[in-house]
Amino acid sequence: MLRYLTKRLMLLVGIVFVISVGSFYLIHLLPGNPATVILGFGATPEAKAILYRQLGLSKPIYLQYFVWLGNILHGNLGVSFISQTKVSSVVRSALPIDAEIIILSQIMAFAAAIPTAMRSARKPDGIVDRVLGATSFTLLSIPPYILIVVLVLFISIKLGVSGTGPSAYVSLGTDWITNLESLSLPAFTLATVSFVVYYRVLRSDLIATLQEEFITMARSKGISQRRIMWRHAFRPSAVALLGAASVNIGGLLAAGFVVQYLLQIPGLGYTLILAINESDFLVVQGIVLTVSVLVVAINFFFDFVINMVDPRISRE
Amino acid sequence: MSDDKLLIVKDLTTTFATAGGDLPAVAGVSFDLARNETLGIVGESGSGKTVLSRTIMGLQPRVNTTVSGSSIIDGFEVVGASENEKRTIWGTEVAMVFQDPMTSLNPVMRIGKQIDEALRVRLGMNRKDAKARAIELLELVGIPSPVQRYNAYPGQLSGGMRQRVVIAIALACSPKLLMADEPTTGLDVTIQAQILNLLDELKGRLKMSVILVTHDLGVVATRTSRIAVMYAGRIVETGTTRDVFYHHRMPYTRALLESSPKVANKSHTRLVTIPGRPPNLLSLSDGCSFAPRCKYATDQCHLVRPELRPSIEPGHTFACWNPLPINAEATLP
Repeated sequence: MLRYLTKRLMLLVGIVFVISVGSFYLIHLLPGNPATVILGFGATPEAKAILYRQLGLSKPIYLQYFVWLGNILHGNLGVSFISQTKVSSVVRSALPIDAEIIILSQIMAFAAAIPTAMRSARKPDGIVDRVLGATSFTLLSIPPYILIVVLVLFISIKLGVSGTGPSAYVSLGTDWITNLESLSLPAFTLATVSFVVYYRVLRSDLIATLQEEFITMARSKGISQRRIMWRHAFRPSAVALLGAASVNIGGLLAAGFVVQYLLQIPGLGYTLILAINESDFLVVQGIVLTVSVLVVAINFFFDFVINMVDPRISRE
Repeated sequence: MSDDKLLIVKDLTTTFATAGGDLPAVAGVSFDLARNETLGIVGESGSGKTVLSRTIMGLQPRVNTTVSGSSIIDGFEVVGASENEKRTIWGTEVAMVFQDPMTSLNPVMRIGKQIDEALRVRLGMNRKDAKARAIELLELVGIPSPVQRYNAYPGQLSGGMRQRVVIAIALACSPKLLMADEPTTGLDVTIQAQILNLLDELKGRLKMSVILVTHDLGVVATRTSRIAVMYAGRIVETGTTRDVFYHHRMPYTRALLESSPKVANKSHTRLVTIPGRPPNLLSLSDGCSFAPRCKYATDQCHLVRPELRPSIEPGHTFACWNPLPINAEATLP
């Protein structure tokens, strides 16, 4: 178990390194000059050139990368060109919002997917299963970013559910009820995207597990249907569900960015998009690094949980 | 209903609805079983032994399956009972030892918990008592260091050990009737004898009736008092173990006996096989199901199905139009 996890951890560190190199290079391919953004369009080319050099942007990209990497290893993410605030404090104020949205959405998605999948699996091709199957398939065929726009439009604008509109965000520290209200819509939209995947994965796995001989064995003990479902069928089937969740999280962060942008919620996504528009390289790079570490850490966490759920995995 | 009968099966029929039509896996089986008796059900693969043993206790698949007839376990009619009703006899009245210990244990649940579960849910024991009893059961079925094994996952045990765990689970709530469905098929030959002897010993100690389902005549020869031979979903011959081995009348029983390898055979003796294949249950003829493979078959055999009829020994019946002569000698397997 320990060996397995150490191996995974080393692999994940490597992945983060590769992502940081790739993203650093990609950002510098973007058009736009932070000096222009800072000084405004009226600035003289000379002034811009001086500032450009002061920001350290005239050096070759690989040198810039090593400077940045050296700083990172000292725990320093740099300072925003535009707002002059430390990138680490930008990340620190934005990250909890993403975390909250994702956690809320996953709670909703699991709470909806597990009972519905069980209900479907109990009678495959029954009426309930067909209705749920058709609904989930429809939702699955709509790209997440379109689904999100439609849901936001419908719930917040058309239905006018209070506290869900654009710019309604209130921080958790200020008022947690209003905070939950303002994040309920983004969490709900992300939950919808996840639900479809979780429902389908768990349903098909449960159906397969329920055919297993050990389920008949459990039946022959005279225990209830409910207990068979939760104690005997769910756990072996949960491995694929957790795997799906683990893969899903990366996409979910990206989908979260779209929602944040639409509703102007100052999470990582919203901040990132603003920073890209302003060519604020270090903020972009800081957020990309944070997100990649986050995705990798979540994957690692899921590996760990999957191991706990199914002891066969690390033994093999 | 006489009280000495623990199980009375009458005209039991199990039909699966398949894409190719209705498949009669068990077609009108009747027999009964006395308390403390051991009955062997033998037949080749696909003869309906497993489906029969599951249907007797009401454990057949819940979808696309129709059951008719009657199976009464200690006064409880299983056929037609709901899942909730059947749950009241499962474990406590009747339990099953499954065929393949590699698949019949939950791979992600500690074996101790799998034994505990029955005790806690069915007998209402608390956690501590259930654990103590589970360890006792592990000891009873001959698992070394049961306290440590209690926390093992099935994947950490050998096949023989797993089958012992399966037996421990079946015995947890002291059932009166134990269905052993090919309990040794998935095991090494050396382990097979151990498991069978264990079942024999436990049967005597716990005062159970046992139905031993197998394709291996060697298994039933010394361990059962009566044998029912199954072919294509029906019982084709039944009687005391002795009668079935020495005085069988049905050519299929003879063929089955002849096709088991014998220790006394010289090396390189060709194994006797039954020509042809078991019939397709979706397209059975009106005649005897064995007729196409039988060297004694006549026109009558192909057209009219023979019913079970008595032979000269008490309780010995067979279904055949052209039976082997009385006292036909057969060699012991």
